[in-house]
Amino acid sequence: MTDVIITEVEGGRTAGAPPSSARRNWAWVGLVPFFAFLFLFLIIPALSVFFNALRTEDGFSLAPLGEAFSGQNFQAFRFSIMFSAGAAIVGVIWGTLLAYAAASLIRPKWLRNLITSFCGVAANMGGLPLAFAFITLLGARAGVLTNILNWLGLDIYEHGFDLGNTAGLIVVYSYFNVPLMVLITLPAIDGLKQSWREACANLGGTTWTYWRRVGLPVLTPSLLGGFLLLFANSFAAYATAAILTDNSKIVSLRIAFFLGGDVSIGEDAVGFGLVAWMIIVMAVCMSLYWVARRRAERWQSL
Amino acid sequence: MDLPLDAPLPIDPELGASTTAPTALAPQSVGRPNAKYARIVPITVVTISAFFFLLPLLTLARHSLQNVPAFLLGKDTIFTKWSLEPMWRAFDDPKFMPSLKLSLMLAVGTVFLTLALLVPTAVWTHLRLPKMRTFIEFITVLPYMIPAIALVAGIVIVKPHARWFLNSDFALIPFYVVLALPFTYRSIDAGLRAIDLRTLVDASRSLGAGWGTTLRKVLIPNLRTAIISASFLTAAVVIGEYTIASTLLKKTLPAFQREYTQREPQAGYALNLLALLVTTLLFVLLSVLTKKRDQSRKPYVPPAAEPTLPHTPTGTLT
Repeated sequence: MTDVIITEVEGGRTAGAPPSSARRNWAWVGLVPFFAFLFLFLIIPALSVFFNALRTEDGFSLAPLGEAFSGQNFQAFRFSIMFSAGAAIVGVIWGTLLAYAAASLIRPKWLRNLITSFCGVAANMGGLPLAFAFITLLGARAGVLTNILNWLGLDIYEHGFDLGNTAGLIVVYSYFNVPLMVLITLPAIDGLKQSWREACANLGGTTWTYWRRVGLPVLTPSLLGGFLLLFANSFAAYATAAILTDNSKIVSLRIAFFLGGDVSIGEDAVGFGLVAWMIIVMAVCMSLYWVARRRAERWQSL
Repeated sequence: MDLPLDAPLPIDPELGASTTAPTALAPQSVGRPNAKYARIVPITVVTISAFFFLLPLLTLARHSLQNVPAFLLGKDTIFTKWSLEPMWRAFDDPKFMPSLKLSLMLAVGTVFLTLALLVPTAVWTHLRLPKMRTFIEFITVLPYMIPAIALVAGIVIVKPHARWFLNSDFALIPFYVVLALPFTYRSIDAGLRAIDLRTLVDASRSLGAGWGTTLRKVLIPNLRTAIISASFLTAAVVIGEYTIASTLLKKTLPAFQREYTQREPQAGYALNLLALLVTTLLFVLLSVLTKKRDQSRKPYVPPAAEPTLPHTPTGTLT
C-alpha cells in the first residue's frame, strides 16, 4: 500500500522530498477533538481566571493581582509557602531514607514489594478519609494519641499543636508526601551502581567519600525534583485541609472562601487574583520539576 | 552470602543477582567496618514509618467499630462496645445510594470519555505526527499546573455563560477527564511505545481491516495493561474527588461522606474506612491485573523503565 510507504517517509527524518502539504494538513485534523476538548475544559477556565483577576469595575488593571498579594492575602501566601516547604523538606528526607531502606533491606524478600505497593496506594490516598483518620489519631478531643499523651502528662494542644497549624499539616501531608517521594527516589537509588561504590573503594574512598562525591551528586536532581513536586502537592491540596481546619491562612481554603461567599465585584477580582498567583506558583514549580526530572533520568537510563 | 547490607544493591527481582560484577567477591568491607550494624538504620526507618502509616488507619477503625469516646478509653473500656454494625449503617441513609450511584456513574463516564479521547489521539500521534509527541506530552501535564481548586474557580467564572451544561451533574465528567489526564495519557503513551505500533497497524490494514477493526481487534488488546491502569486510576480519582464537586454543590459520594460524618460521627468514620478499603482494593487489583500481563509477555522489565510518577496530579485528591 502506498499509504504505508508515505507514512514511513514522513516519520523518518531522511525524507528527500517534502511530503505533500495536503497530506500533512489532513494529519492535523486527527488532533482537533483532543485540542478542542482541552481548550473548552482546561484553557478557557484557566484563562478566565486571569481575565477576571485583571478586571475591575473601571477597566483592566493590575491592582487586584497586587491586592491578592498584600495584607491578609500575603500572610496566607507566606503561611502556605512556609508549611508547604516544611512538608516538602520532611517528605524529601523521610521519603529518601525509606526508599534507601527499601532498596537495602534485601533479607525479607517481600519487604521491598510491600513498601513500593503500599507507597503506590498511599501516595494517592488524600482527601477526606485521610483527614478523618488523623482526627481520630491526633484530634483535640477525638484523638487516641492525643489522649494517651495527655494521660502521660503531655498536652500537645497546650504546646500550640493543631491539625490546622504548620506542625499538624506537615504531619498529615507526610502521609501522602513520603510515599510519593519513595516512588520518585527509588528508581534513582536503584540507579546507583554497585560498581561505582567498588570503584570508589578501589580508589581508596570511604563510605563518606562515596556519598559526598558520587551518591549525593547523582541523587541531587531527584531530590530537588522531589522537593518541588512535594511542595506543589502540599501547596495545592484542598480537601484534606478543608476537613482538618478552617484556617483562612491556607491559600486553597481562602480561595474556596472567596468562591463560596457573596462578595462584590471588586473583591471578586482579588479572589481570582489569589487563584492566578496559585497557578503562577504551581507553573514555576512544575516547570522546574520537569527540568530536574530530565536530569535525574540521565543516570537511570545507563 | 555476606553482602554489604547497607549498600543499594541493584538487585533485579527476576534475575536474582546484581547486574554488575559478582558482588560477593568485590572489596565490600573496604571503608565500612560497621557493616554489621548497618542494618539497624534501615530497620529503624521502616519500623517508624510502619507505625506512622498504620496508626491513623487503626484509630480510624477503632472509632468506626467501638462506640467509646477516646477520652474514656482505659483498662475497663478497651474491650467494650465493639460492633461491626456502624460499617453498614450509612447504607440505610436515604442520601447514600443516590450519591454512590452518581459517583459510580461519573466514574464510568469519565473512564469512557478518557479512553475515547486519548486512545485515538495517542495512536494518531504515534503514527502520523511523531514530531508532535513532545508537544502533546507537554500539553497533557498542564493540569499539574492548574490544581483542582484553581480549575473550579475557572468553572465558577464560566458558569453564568453555560448554565444549561454546568447545572447537570454529568458536567463534572469532562473536568475529571482533564484532572486525570497527565496520568492517563502517560500510561497510554507508554503502552504504545512498548508495542511495534506501525507493524501491527500495517499488518492489520494490509489484511483488509479498516481503522475501526484495527483499533478494536489489534490495538486495544495489545494496550490492555495501559488501558486497565488508566481506567483504574481515573476511577479512583473520580470516586475520591471532593474539591470540584463540593464547590459546585454536586452531591457525590465524598460530599455525602463529609455531610454524613458531621451528622453521624461513628457511622461516618466507618464509611470513610470503607472508602479507604475499597480504594486500596482497587489498587491491589490493578497491580495484580497488570503484573500478570507483563510477566506473560515480557521476561524482564528493568526498574528504570517503570513510570517515575504513578500518581494522580497534584492536589487532585488531596
